Amino acid sequence: MSRKNFSPYVPRPATLVRKERLSDLVTLFEFAPDNGRPLAHKPGQFIQVSVFGVGEAPFSISSFPDPGNHHFEIAVRKTGTVTNALHALKEGDKAAIRGPYGSFFPIQEFVGKDTIFIAGGLGYIPLRSLLRYQLRHRDEFGRIILLVGTRNPSERIFVDRLEELAKRPDVEVHETVDVPDKDWKGNVGVVTTLLPKLTFDPDNTYVAMVGPPVMYRFVIGGCQELGISPRRIYVSLERKMKCGLGKCGHCQINGINACIDGPVFRYTDIESLQEAL
Amino acid sequence: MPSYTVYLEQLPGMLEAWAKDHAVYVPVQTEPGFYDYAPWREDVEIAWEFDVAYNSPKRFLMPPKEELIAFDAEKYTAKATFEAPAQMVFGVHPYDVRAIAQLDQIMESGAPDQYYLRRRENTVIMALDPLRVSETAFWSTMGAGECDLGFDLYWTKIGPAAFLVRVGSARGEELLMAAGKPVKASTSERDAACRAQEAVRRVADRRGLRFPWQEVPAVLDRSWNSGLWRERSEMCLGCGSCNVVCPTCYCFDVREEMDLSMKSGTRYRTWDACMLSSFALIAGGHNFREKALERYRHRYFRKGKYIHDMVGELGCVGCGRCVRACTARIANPMEVYNALWEETR
Repeated sequence: MSRKNFSPYVPRPATLVRKERLSDLVTLFEFAPDNGRPLAHKPGQFIQVSVFGVGEAPFSISSFPDPGNHHFEIAVRKTGTVTNALHALKEGDKAAIRGPYGSFFPIQEFVGKDTIFIAGGLGYIPLRSLLRYQLRHRDEFGRIILLVGTRNPSERIFVDRLEELAKRPDVEVHETVDVPDKDWKGNVGVVTTLLPKLTFDPDNTYVAMVGPPVMYRFVIGGCQELGISPRRIYVSLERKMKCGLGKCGHCQINGINACIDGPVFRYTDIESLQEAL
Repeated sequence: MPSYTVYLEQLPGMLEAWAKDHAVYVPVQTEPGFYDYAPWREDVEIAWEFDVAYNSPKRFLMPPKEELIAFDAEKYTAKATFEAPAQMVFGVHPYDVRAIAQLDQIMESGAPDQYYLRRRENTVIMALDPLRVSETAFWSTMGAGECDLGFDLYWTKIGPAAFLVRVGSARGEELLMAAGKPVKASTSERDAACRAQEAVRRVADRRGLRFPWQEVPAVLDRSWNSGLWRERSEMCLGCGSCNVVCPTCYCFDVREEMDLSMKSGTRYRTWDACMLSSFALIAGGHNFREKALERYRHRYFRKGKYIHDMVGELGCVGCGRCVRACTARIANPMEVYNALWEETR
């Protein structure tokens, strides 16, 4: 197909192979692209998913890049028209995808280093791609420290996996909730409160954090107080990615586009942008 | 660049010839004092003295609603739907040609937008020097009073019945040759065109930026926290009129609709506006520019700094359309940039 006939807006079909409830509102969707080809994404990237007749929306890819497996996963909170339509899909139904798009966590930079993953709420979904990559290539990476903050226990996602991970000797898992219920026995407080409890070598540590907009300033401040260089802090910023191609203007953060310049940024690349955090 | 002399009496024949294989649009008066482009017909009176077309020519390159794909919701297949009619916009003032050249650059960069580029390829731009300057225009001080690319032919009225026509592209010259027998312009005719341009520029220079346009990005760098944003945005109705009439605004939304069969449908883009409160609102309810102040400031930064960072020229060409379209009378890049310059100098 010549370049002039190419439209990046044409999505390709994918079949829903598995749905798994993660919480009341969040479901994990495993899709298989009908062309049998892996997305070839990198951790932190996103795709546009369509339900024809309803619309299209951007989702972080939650699975890790695996050349041997063309299936991929997204985790979706039921919150709008497209996400409602996705939740209504049954296994075997189709959706359409385009992408992957955007920047990603620089895996090679993390090699040999310790990583603190800081997830607020649904931020765990994109981080899981990087986390699972590191687990798959466990020898290449140093300590894996996981900080997970959730608003309340009923909104926790990937609970079984987190419990399994916590049992592993080579993964450190720390969880907290903002508002506990009567059965909650763990930490209480925002995710920032977990940081001072850690002991780590700040000069050998990278941070990958994803969470709601309100989280970043506090957590980045906390990391810097503990001596982590802002150059080793990576964030992923959610915006309204509509076209995914740097054209439609919706995801602008000052003069840059979250869809092509982001969503993953090194903190020092955006700290001077007033609209970033 | 070769130039020719074309007489007013030759023009109807030329337009008729071009209209055989192009949809030709010309400036007309729609109401007293208001002008816009309309399809050319033999009996249409071209408004040679139009000061500005109420709507910018961007709609010929990026229609308000443009289909992107057609999909089959049962088989889950989709294909691109390109539409690029052969068209000619006759009478595009230099500031609008600058706006088009800017859109060309932006649409070609990164992931090339073939929907735009294919329309652009099939669109002949006939530039025309203005004879009058709109009361709200300030293009001459925005670096947009002249253009050296983005047009096929460039027309300057020299006297009551003649034009100097400069060639901007091989296609332009071919169209000119095919439609008439223009004579090569003489030195005195070229001088007459220069004088005509100077005359209108002298009028245009009377109002505008009070400092070099190249300094606008630096002025904005000093103005993020200016009180001006609050003062002016407090009156903003968030209607997006300034975006709609702007010749360089190109932000869009992507939507879709099903056919009556409910088996297939189309996905299309529509003009969107960063001044609308929903522009940066995401599912879940977070709005990244919740306040009118934030949206208003974003628009002026976009025009005066972000676009400049991308293409090296301002995103505002000084056409003054937003000034006229704004019902709250707060849209005015010239006033905003002058005030910020005054505040921060």
